[in-house]
This record gives sequence, structure tokens and C-alpha cells, in this order.
Amino acid sequence: MENSHIRNFSIIAHIDHGKSTLADRILEICHLVDKRQMQDQMLDSMELERERGITIKLNTVKLNYNFEGQDYILNLIDTPGHVDFSYEVSRSLAACEGAILVVDASQGIEAQTLANLYLAMEDDLTIIPVLNKIDLPNADVPKVKKELMDVLGFKEEEILLVSGKTGEGVKELLDEVVRKINPPRIDKTSPLKALIFDSYFDPYKGVVLLVKIVSGKVKVKDQIKMMATSSVFEVTEVGVHTMTYQSLDTLESGMVGYICASIKDISKVEVGDTITLENNPASEPLKGYKKMKPMVFSGIFPTESSRYDELKEALEKLKLNDASLTIEPETSVALGFGFRTGFLGLLHMDIILTRLEREFNLDTIATSPSVIYRVTLTGGDVIEIDSPNKMPDKTKIVKIEEPYIYTSIIAPAEFIGPIMTLCQNKRGIYKTTDYINENRVNIHYEIPLGEIVYDFYDKLKSSTKGYASFDYEVSGYKESKLVKMDILLNGEVVDALSVIVHETESYNKGRAIVQKLRKLIPRQNFEVPIQASIGSKVIARENISAMRKNVLAKCYGGDVSRKRKLLEKQKEGKKRMKMIGSVEVPQEAFLAVLSEDE
Amino acid sequence: MDEIKAVYIHIPFCKQICSYCDFCKFYYDQKWVREYLMALEKEIKDRYMDEKISKIYIGGGTPSALNNEELDYLFAIIKLLNLDDNIEFTFECNLSDITEDLIDKLIANRVNRISIGIESFDPEKLEFLERNADFEDAQRKIEMCKAKGLTNINVDLMYALQNETLKMLKKDLKLFLKLDVPHISTYSLMIEPNTKLYNKKIEAIDEDLDAKMYETICKTLENEGYEHYEVSNFAKPGLASKHNLTYWDNEEYYGFGLGASGYAFRVRYTNTRSLTKYITGNYVMEKEMLGEKEMMDYEIILGLRKTKGINLKHFYEKFNVNLQNQYPVDDLVKSGDLIYKDGNIFINPDKLYIMNEILIKLV
Repeated sequence: MENSHIRNFSIIAHIDHGKSTLADRILEICHLVDKRQMQDQMLDSMELERERGITIKLNTVKLNYNFEGQDYILNLIDTPGHVDFSYEVSRSLAACEGAILVVDASQGIEAQTLANLYLAMEDDLTIIPVLNKIDLPNADVPKVKKELMDVLGFKEEEILLVSGKTGEGVKELLDEVVRKINPPRIDKTSPLKALIFDSYFDPYKGVVLLVKIVSGKVKVKDQIKMMATSSVFEVTEVGVHTMTYQSLDTLESGMVGYICASIKDISKVEVGDTITLENNPASEPLKGYKKMKPMVFSGIFPTESSRYDELKEALEKLKLNDASLTIEPETSVALGFGFRTGFLGLLHMDIILTRLEREFNLDTIATSPSVIYRVTLTGGDVIEIDSPNKMPDKTKIVKIEEPYIYTSIIAPAEFIGPIMTLCQNKRGIYKTTDYINENRVNIHYEIPLGEIVYDFYDKLKSSTKGYASFDYEVSGYKESKLVKMDILLNGEVVDALSVIVHETESYNKGRAIVQKLRKLIPRQNFEVPIQASIGSKVIARENISAMRKNVLAKCYGGDVSRKRKLLEKQKEGKKRMKMIGSVEVPQEAFLAVLSEDE
Repeated sequence: MDEIKAVYIHIPFCKQICSYCDFCKFYYDQKWVREYLMALEKEIKDRYMDEKISKIYIGGGTPSALNNEELDYLFAIIKLLNLDDNIEFTFECNLSDITEDLIDKLIANRVNRISIGIESFDPEKLEFLERNADFEDAQRKIEMCKAKGLTNINVDLMYALQNETLKMLKKDLKLFLKLDVPHISTYSLMIEPNTKLYNKKIEAIDEDLDAKMYETICKTLENEGYEHYEVSNFAKPGLASKHNLTYWDNEEYYGFGLGASGYAFRVRYTNTRSLTKYITGNYVMEKEMLGEKEMMDYEIILGLRKTKGINLKHFYEKFNVNLQNQYPVDDLVKSGDLIYKDGNIFINPDKLYIMNEILIKLV
């Protein structure tokens, strides 16, 4: 295939603006799947993605398309929409020359519309703006068109109208992709440079590298070298993804495909790295893309301590195609051996925990999430800590700084009041409000990231009836009066429950946490005090009374089998508890500090 | 294993449905009773292997809801069983159904123990339970039974109902003691699925109050000469329910009738609750075949409900293994959960009301 007949593109959108449905129609038009075997959200291959209706991992698919009598190859690289996964988006975009920007014709511009568009513009991609869901009765094409023109600067005639649901306008959209997006630049003569934009583990093939070949070519039996780690492997297979693998003899400049090289050791591969040939190496690696740093840290521990090795292996496998995940060993007095794990955000954390449970059948306990605090010590040294338990003694601290974010909260103007109240309650500093049109606003605050990782999303949603969208970027560190608060069960500090809180909120939070724990921890065979303390000062206390009743009061003929089943159930329930000293604590308790009210 | 000696027969008809009841029951309807009794006769003929029966219990539902003719039919069916001369034959009665005629008929048919579901005399409690009972009426009827020689009587008492106070319970206890019957069964209310209370989303009372009530019951009844022989059962010396001990001794018994459970030939089974299935001869809904380990587990789960617990020698004779070798009994004796005395292992009386916690550690 002539290079001029290849197009690499992504679809970017705010969550729920219909990206995956549009992708389904594109696949259908290109006859990759026929209507009968069509499953909704074809590209979302993870069970979790289909279930939640979101895209987490990017996927890539090669499509054949005929335009004006000529055959073209369209490489569609799917992207996630959620703020936590902007890193994934930037990886997808690095392999593209263009992007379709999808905006819901009834919703208008949302926070991730902007965020993803900015990412695409940083990569100099050609943007095709599209209004989707025009079939909906409440679609307001003129209004949303005007938003795209006023806020994003598109020209009216550039904006296409489609319906991913009915397929209207999708063919015209693909024509526009061919016409408007540049073919990949080709350089077949220079040494091999292939950008690894994703990878995953296949039990039969080993590590599968998803690559864009920028220059040169690669074929089976080539010795390839990872430029960052200098590891060398022999290529066992190259090819492209249709809906499954399609192996080829060679991948060459301009192509997007996969490489397998019997790579078993996950740590030898770094997404964003450049692959070259060992015997004819490139002199310079490709410019990688901005590496996303994890923002939220939590301790993850196996519920059964004997399963530590399994947890380690599972996290390493997940890390393989999730470069934003960081793991390092952590030891807790209460929970034993586990990992301090870094995530992009709370949704990311939630998804990893769910995948551990579903895909690896691992029961885990996650501790309350923490951000990275910057602590200046009396000696002048500055240290960064990602866990309350690494906080030095108060007497050694000159100041503590915490990360702040700059928000984009887009919502109907009628919700300005509730949004501002919420941000204010989260120690937010008001910056400015932009008007997208006369009744939609983009509100900017600076808020401590540590406040966002608790229940900000949920609160924002409930206080705006679900109409607000939210995105942020890190804006820097600011000094705050922060203190470490410990939680004691039966007089013993439970390290896994410690949190860092703002001094002014410590009493309220301490009280809320001990009350919540009292509800979550079942009665034990003895009375258990729960205390919150700062240093040696107890600021809140509750008691769990001793258990007084656990018996089947009557037990006759019919109850006998049931009774045994009931005991089995109680036994199972206990297995899911963690012994902290002599107190049995359910897993949920470790996240109790997450949501403050109720 | 010994031959089966006990039979339970379920009569699933009631004239009034109580708010807490999750047993298998239907509103009384003559047409259905007739059909049902015919099916019951067939089930007994199909399954009973002519063992000598020394304990029989007719429960419900409300067996006393049957009319004269139906009772005659029921007792005719019972004649199919080979009854021991020394039988304990219990019949469950509703207070309002007790008449001279009924008692005469029961006695004529060898019934020698009745169990009366009184539950309470407190108007508020009765309303909550959707039942009726009047103290004078009860006293009169019980005296009548005794006069006719039917002296082995049990009454049921329920407690831990919504809004019940310790004072209300104490008053009930006082009246129950006045009835001067040799056996009292007490039940802390459990809100089971498929009951009116459950559907009304009634919640259990405070755990501490519940435990306090239990303590009060145990103390009061023991002071009056009742032996606390099982978690919820109290009897004057020698008058514990032999039939119910079958369950707690983990011995086999037939369960006949709709929704009845039985334990026969190493299988624990539960009959269908569907009248149409039952009438067409599809009796059994669920079966659990027991291996050696399950049988021992049951021996412990049930045996420890008795205040005298499990006899170690008896356990060895039954299973050919030492209880202490198979289960962490010694650890629990050390921790004070179990007590070892005179060759028996039993639950520390202070911990009887949290016995599930102990059982979980055992089996």
C-alpha cells in the first residue's frame, strides 16, 4: 500500500459523547464486522469497559476504506475520555496525524472536550470537529456549532454533523478523514525508529508491543533494541490488528502495528521508548511524550497475606500496559506486606482494584488515598512523601506544602452557586469564570488535590444534578497547615488508617471517621474503643460495644440445614476481615476515611 | 446408625397468619385440606419403612385448625405408623381451638403432650404479632387439659419485639409462670424473609436489650425450677421435649408433609412447599447427603445447643474418633469458650447467646 493511502487518526471526546458508538459505525462501514456479529462498543474489549460504558485502554484497529475509487488504510486508535486517563490519550495521539473531535449536539462543550483538544493541538494534529447525536430530539445544532466557533475557533463549514446511532453522516466523515488528515510522513531509508505507544501481555506471545513505525522497517528475526533500556530481543512476529491479529512479513515506516519478541520480562519494556535495530541503530530516540506522573497513592495489601506474591505478579502485569501505574513495596504494621501504588486519579485506582479482583481473583485492602506532600525539614532539606506514615515528627518540620490543581468546571450558569460553595468547602481559591455561551460557564478554582481525591466528583455531580463536567491540571505547590491524624483501635495506632488533614478540619474529620468506623466494624467479643488523635492528643472517640448476641434462637428440624449454611456464611464473612491486634476489621473500614459524611 | 424413632408431621393450614411466621402455611380451606391429607397418607405409605416410632410431633401451621372429620382422617393416617407403647406424642394447638371435645379426641388418639403457641399476653405485643391470647382463657383451658390428665404441656413465649421493654417481658414471664406448665419455649424474634414483618421492613431491637431479655428469662425460669436444657427451651426435671431432643442429639427422624424437613438414611432433606407438586407426589425439594465430616459437624452444631453439651464417650462410640482430635476443642476450653466437665463438653453458659462465634471457630 502506498503511504499516501494511509491515515492514522483518533477519536477524542468528553465521556458519554458517543465516541465508542461512532467507532462501532465506522467499523461497520469498513465491513470489519458485519451487523449480525456487531456487539456494542466493539473497541472496548475489557469487560469493565463495556460494563461502565467507558474506554480505559486504548485499542487500535486497521480499516480498509474506498474513497473515490481508491483503497485506503485507516488506522483508528481509540482513546479514553476520562480525566484520569489523559495520559492514555496523549499516547494514542502520538501515533496519529489527525483526530476527530466529537461533541454531543445536545450537551455542548464539556471539560474533557477542551482537555483532549489541547492535547491534540500540542501534537500538531489535524482536527475534524464533529457534532454527534444529531438524531436526539434535544440536539441543538446551531447552539453547539456556535460554541465550537466561539470557544474553539472552528469555521462553520468545517463542522460535520453525524449520528453514531443511525449512521447518518459517518460516510462523509470518513471521506473527510481521507481528504483532510495528512498521510504519515515516510522515511524508509533511515534506521528503524518505532514508537512504543502501548503494550500488553499475551500468555502465548509474551509482551505485545503496539508501535508506530516512524522510519525504517522491521521484520521477523530482526534483532531489536530498546533505546531506553538497551535490551535486545529477536522479533518473532510483526503484524497489524484487525479485530484479531493479522501477522505480516514486515512493518515499515508509516504503519501502525504490533511487534512480538518473546519478551517475558516486563521491566525491559517502557511505553514511550523507541525501538531500533541492533545492527543499524538510530542515533537519537524519538521525542517521547510527556510522562504522566501518578497523583494519588494508596497502599494495596492482599487480604490473605499468603497471596503477596500473586498480588505482586498481578500488579506487574497491569503495569505492563499501564505505564502510569507505579508500585513499590510497602510494609504496614496492621496489614503486613503490600505495595504503595500510584494512580492518576481515583477512577484509575478504582479500576485497578476491580481488575485485581476480577481478572486475578485477588481480594485486596486499599488504604485511604494520599497525594505527594512536600515537607521542608528543620535542616533545610526538602522531602516528598506519598504516605501519611512517612510524615516526619512535627518538631522536625518547618513547613508542609501540598499540590494544588487548576479546575475547569463546565456547567449551566444556574449551578454557579452550588459549585462555588462546594469548591469553597474544599479549601478552593476562586480564580475566574469564563462564559461558553450566555447560559454555560467554565469555572476556575485552585483546589488542593488532596481534597479532590476524597469525594469531590460525587459531590459535584449531586450538587449540579449531573450537569457539571470537570477537568484539571496541576498548578503547583502551596504551603498549608497540615497535620497527621492517627486512628487507634483498642488503644493501638492502626498505621493503615492514618490520614493527613488540614488543621482546621481535623476535629470534624476525626469525629466523622470514628463514627463511620463504629458503624463499619462489627461488634467483637469485647468492647473496642476507636479514637482519633493528633500526636498524643485524642480528638474524637467512639466505642464499639461487645457482641451480645449471635445465635439462632430457635432451631428445629427445618432450621438445621439452614443453620449450617448460616454458619458457613458467617465463616466466609470472617475470612474477609483483617485482624488488627485482636480486632476483626472489614475491608471497607480502610476506605472509611474516604467519604466524610453520612 | 440406630433405626429412626421420630416422626414430624406438618399441617400447613391456619385460620390467621402471624406477622413473623415463615413456616409453610396456607389459609385453611376444606377442599385443600382433604386433598392434602390424601397426599400425606400417600407420602407416608411411600416413604415410611415400618420402624418403631417412639416420638411423634404434629406441628404446623395450625394442626388444631382441622375440623372433626379431618382430625379423624389425620389420626387414621397416623395409625399407619408402628407406635411404641411408651410414646411421646405432641400435638400443636392454638389457644382458641382448645375445647373439651378436642382434648378428648386427642387423648383418645394417644396424644400425651400439647404445645400451645401463646407467645404473649401483652396487647401491644400481640397486635405486633397479629395474634390473640387472653390470660384467663388460657388459664381455664390449661386447667381443663390437666384435669383430663393431659399434663405435659408446652407454651411458647416470644420476646425482643419492636418497642418491647424489659418491663413488658417481666410481666409476660410472671403470667406464663402462673400457668404452671412443665415446659416453656422462648424465642427471640427473628425477622425472616417472606414474612409480613420483613415486608414492612421492621428492624430487630437493640442487641444489648435483646441479650438483657434473654438473661432475664434464663434467671427467672431457673429460679422457678425450670431446667435450661437448650438455648431457648426450659423444662421441669424429666419433662424436656423428647422429640425436639432428637434434633439436638443429631438423630434421624422422618419429616412428612408440605415443607417438612427430615433426616433419614444419612440424608437431610426438605420437602417441597408447593401444594400442587406435593399432591402429585413430588415430595422432596432439597437433599443434602452427609459424609462423615458433615455428620460430625452437625453433631457439634446441634449438640452444643444443649446446656449439657456433647458427651465425649458417646461421640467416640458414634463416629469412632475422638472429638478433641478432630476439632480444636482444647483451645476453646483454654480460652473459656467451652467447658469440659464430667466427660461432657458444653458452651460456657455466659456465652450461649453468642454461640455462633464459637461454632465458627470449631467447624
